[in-house]
Amino acid sequence: MEKTTCIVVGAGPAGSACALSLSRKGIDTILLERGRTPGEKNVSSFVLFMTELKRLIPEWEEDLPVERNVVRTDQAIFTGNDIKMITSYNYDKIDDPITFTAFRRRFDAWFAKKAKDAGAELITGMTVTDLIKDKGRVIGVRVGDEELYADVVVGADGYYSSVGEKAGLITEWDPARCTLGVKEVLDLPPEVINERFQVSDGLGCEMGLWHYNYGKLSFGGTTLYTNTDSVSLGIFARVGELKEKNVKLHDELDKLKQHPFIHNFIEGSTLREYQAHIISHGGRIKPENLYGDGVLLCGEAGGLMDTASGMGVPTCMTSGLMAAETIDLAVKKNDFSAGTLKNYLKFLDTTSMLDMVHESKRYSDSLVGNNAGRANYMADIADSYNNYWNADYMSKDYHPLFLNLYLKAGKFFVPSLIRWIVTPIVKGFSLYKKTVEKIKRKIRSRFYEWKKQYDS
Amino acid sequence: MDKTTCIVVGAGPAGSACALSLARKGIDTVLLERGRTPGEKKVSSFVLLMTELRRLIPDWEKDLPVERNIIRTDQAIFNGTDIKMITSYNYDKLKNPVYFSAFRRKFDEWFAKKAKEAGAELITGMTVTDLIMDNGRVVGVKIDDEELYADIVVGADGYHTKVGEKAGLVTEWDPARARLAVKEVLDLPPEVINERFQLSDGQGCDMGIIPYHFGELSIRSSTLYTNKDSISLAVFAHLGELKEKNIKLHDELEKFKEHPFIHKFIKGATLREYQAHIIPHGGRVNPENLYGDGVLLCGEAGGTTDTASGMGVPTCMTAGLMAAETIALAVKKKDFSADTLKNYLKFLDSTSILDMIYESKKTSDYWVDKGKLERPDCMAAIADSYNQYWNADYMSKDYHPLFLNLYLRVGKFFAPKLIRMIVTPILKGYSFYEKTVEKIKRKIRRRFYEWKKQYDN
Amino acid sequence: MSGKNSMTVDEKMSTVKIKIDKEAHITVNKELCKNCTDRPCLIICAAENYKWDEKSDDLVFNYEGCLECGACRLICPLNAISWSYPKHGCGVKFRFG
Ligand SMILES: Cc1cc2nc3c(=O)[nH]c(=O)nc-3n(C[C@H](O)[C@H](O)[C@H](O)COP(=O)(O)OP(=O)(O)OC[C@H]3O[C@@H](n4cnc5c(N)ncnc54)[C@H](O)[C@@H]3O)c2cc1C
Ligand SMILES: Cc1cc2nc3c(=O)[nH]c(=O)nc-3n(C[C@H](O)[C@H](O)[C@H](O)COP(=O)(O)OP(=O)(O)OC[C@H]3O[C@@H](n4cnc5c(N)ncnc54)[C@H](O)[C@@H]3O)c2cc1C
Repeated sequence: MEKTTCIVVGAGPAGSACALSLSRKGIDTILLERGRTPGEKNVSSFVLFMTELKRLIPEWEEDLPVERNVVRTDQAIFTGNDIKMITSYNYDKIDDPITFTAFRRRFDAWFAKKAKDAGAELITGMTVTDLIKDKGRVIGVRVGDEELYADVVVGADGYYSSVGEKAGLITEWDPARCTLGVKEVLDLPPEVINERFQVSDGLGCEMGLWHYNYGKLSFGGTTLYTNTDSVSLGIFARVGELKEKNVKLHDELDKLKQHPFIHNFIEGSTLREYQAHIISHGGRIKPENLYGDGVLLCGEAGGLMDTASGMGVPTCMTSGLMAAETIDLAVKKNDFSAGTLKNYLKFLDTTSMLDMVHESKRYSDSLVGNNAGRANYMADIADSYNNYWNADYMSKDYHPLFLNLYLKAGKFFVPSLIRWIVTPIVKGFSLYKKTVEKIKRKIRSRFYEWKKQYDS
Repeated sequence: MDKTTCIVVGAGPAGSACALSLARKGIDTVLLERGRTPGEKKVSSFVLLMTELRRLIPDWEKDLPVERNIIRTDQAIFNGTDIKMITSYNYDKLKNPVYFSAFRRKFDEWFAKKAKEAGAELITGMTVTDLIMDNGRVVGVKIDDEELYADIVVGADGYHTKVGEKAGLVTEWDPARARLAVKEVLDLPPEVINERFQLSDGQGCDMGIIPYHFGELSIRSSTLYTNKDSISLAVFAHLGELKEKNIKLHDELEKFKEHPFIHKFIKGATLREYQAHIIPHGGRVNPENLYGDGVLLCGEAGGTTDTASGMGVPTCMTAGLMAAETIALAVKKKDFSADTLKNYLKFLDSTSILDMIYESKKTSDYWVDKGKLERPDCMAAIADSYNQYWNADYMSKDYHPLFLNLYLRVGKFFAPKLIRMIVTPILKGYSFYEKTVEKIKRKIRRRFYEWKKQYDN
Repeated sequence: MSGKNSMTVDEKMSTVKIKIDKEAHITVNKELCKNCTDRPCLIICAAENYKWDEKSDDLVFNYEGCLECGACRLICPLNAISWSYPKHGCGVKFRFG
């Protein structure tokens, strides 16, 4: 009977981070991955190059398989055919990159290899089909007929987590709380990419676009970003809404490609690869269900995703590291019961992970309630801003920019306590201002009337 | 002795709008322009195709000399070498355009021609050098030795207004309240423009750029926009500050062109034309000085430019139209004294022009006083707060509400005083409370790590 | 000049069409200039029409290359520059303003 200290299921960002950290602590670890190489089953966008990864692998620059260093980020919103966008160019970050684009196939393989180099045993082409239990506690995994025993099993096997399911920790698979992503990688010469996205060789652009009441869907997202010699275009929508409205997401993608804004970027490109993947909302699993006797869940398996941004790679890595800390403690105590593994929550809470889960859940609830609330506040910011620069002096009013901003966008972002106090004040003032403006205008236009009478 | 009812000096947006409107009302009007063709003395950016112009010339689509229909507008701020930008793509405006880019040489000529067709007499190559006065009232203009008489003279002759100066209405020429603009028109093939600005043929982009913390100048701005097969790049700075800091604006332009952001757009372009012009603050002329006996000032001559945006074409046109209304009234009353012409202010006030003058004066005062832009980094703050919201470093991220950040960094500049007095302390207090709680929470949480470290040894 | 590829002001001015007036539209009271320490006209003019000749210790200016922005008139601390628009349709002729 084969037995090790820890089995990590899934060599994605969460699993590899966990296995790497465990091995460095000298804990016997087996990392199981169903793909023939890590990453070949995975689809996502840029890899966020966060502080964590830099700390974890200080010599990352040697061999990290980077496509482009993202110096330009855009957050855009579609309102009808119009687009409002907030852009940042971080030229300052060229030497100290925060975000890279990368292909998962290469990144995951690289990351898993780091875990392997540190001492973890990486076994690929192994799909975990079941858990081995003893009196309700997890003591190993089954890969077909094969059995593998361990003191603790870490489920880092993504949204459709077998570990979570078989351990009885995950019971909810709500289509309303997950998003489908359909994505195309489109070949485009680097020079053309540079011109269109206004970047240079090695530097990239990443765009998040939100659709608010665009087409039939109340809410959806698009991502468009640059690789070395290709661009990736993905579209996202809630599975629940697609079902409800009977919309094929890949049709929506085709429509989107006709939109002049998108079309200008991808014109003349050819399809390199077609992809689809699920992204879950964050907060789908209660923190109490992240651990059990002999088992821990991390990454997307544990719902540790940011719903609003769809960001998963960094959160999943961090949770993998915290799982490793917890296991280290358990090894020292030689106690793998839920009572010890509960410390996982405390470790998670040393980061802002649990706050994130909480926020994500709230946001998920509001999406499920079909209230994309904050979604179009960017349009409001841009509108209010444009009104400030509006040069039609026959119609322009000098209603303070900030009142507009607050009433249109701000109220979504302030905590409810503040909202109760401030909103009535601002609303009252705004009404007062508008009334004064209206009366003034009426009086003024009377002058015109007077002249007309005089004329005849 | 040549005599007409009205002489309009200057065939810019203000003058031509005024003459056009007067001619349509059947009032004899002579439009004088010092250039050989209208517009050849002028430098500016896009022309706003506002409601007004459409109402005035409903068949504009036939022959308006358009370069590109601006469907993309950007407001960008440079924060050191970083850039924050708010962009709108108005594809919906393809059928119903709001802005066009155009060359003044062609636009002004087109517009003056419309006035001419309506019946105004356009005389070009005529520089008005003086006014003819009779008992303190303006009765005509002098062009060197030539004399031309009229019941009323409209000064629409731009910033360096001869009419305003000679009539004693404009006395202030404060270099602190005027900006210098140096501009280049750079040739670039249309396909390249389309690629770089993400446009299709006929569609244009207009960027307003505020280089904040870039170089030595505290107040300056820049504009970059697309023509058919060229792009225009201009930088603006206050005369006063250029003098004080001993900076050549055209050197600044060269530096600016090397900024990676700008460079990307203009790479490989060749210079077609080099230009310079003054762009004054709004509100430089007191409303009481916009009229006198037998004289009215409109457009930039009367200080009707929006200080903050530098926008002049639409305001100047509107002012020209209101001047025409006033004159029509005076013609009916057969009274061209200041007393009747005072109605000009009422007409202006039926639009939001006087509000604009008032706001412009405020902004201008602020700039002159503080020597810096008001609200300069609001966009950066919006973008920063926004980026913080999307920040994915969960080891450091805090959930300080986005709006508090926004308000405390930006909003307070925009909120009216009254609101500011009430709301700011509340939000500040709340923000402080939130931050303290966050800090304490973080401290407590960290203790857990400490504990584990001790356990490890 | 700062850039590697940047043009000199003279080169730039070669793109501007100007019909030269026989009569100068700018006159300068050069006596006043001798007492001027700042000489902001030297930096403010985008056409660099004002230069200080070290040899003769005198202001040299060229009205013919004027872009007619009028900044010199505004900036002169001693009111030494009298500036008006060129007459008879002369002066600068911007084609792409
Ligand atoms: C289209 C798209 C775009 C995205 N964009 C971004 C983005 O821009 N930035 C970002 O940070 N995140 C993004 N995400 C989210 C991110 O990809 C995920 O959150 C992240 O990959 C989750 O990491 P993980 O390690 O928890 O799980 P996964 O990456 O899903 O890894 C799970 C691993 O487990 C393996 N596995 C699964 N089941 C078994 C089994 N039974 N036995 C053995 N192995 C198994 C899988 O093959 C896989 O390798 C995106 C996702 C999608 C779909
Ligand atoms: C670089 C730059 C960019 C700008 N960008 C914009 C922009 O994007 N949008 C916008 O709306 N505004 C812009 N402006 C401002 C705009 O150009 C002016 O506000 C506008 O042109 C003023 O119109 P006007 O009719 O009052 O005066 P002008 O356009 O200055 O017209 C005055 C006319 O009078 C003539 N004239 C002057 N003196 C005499 C005389 N003595 N005798 C006879 N004729 C005379 C002149 O030749 C001229 O044709 C910009 C300005 C500059 C300098």
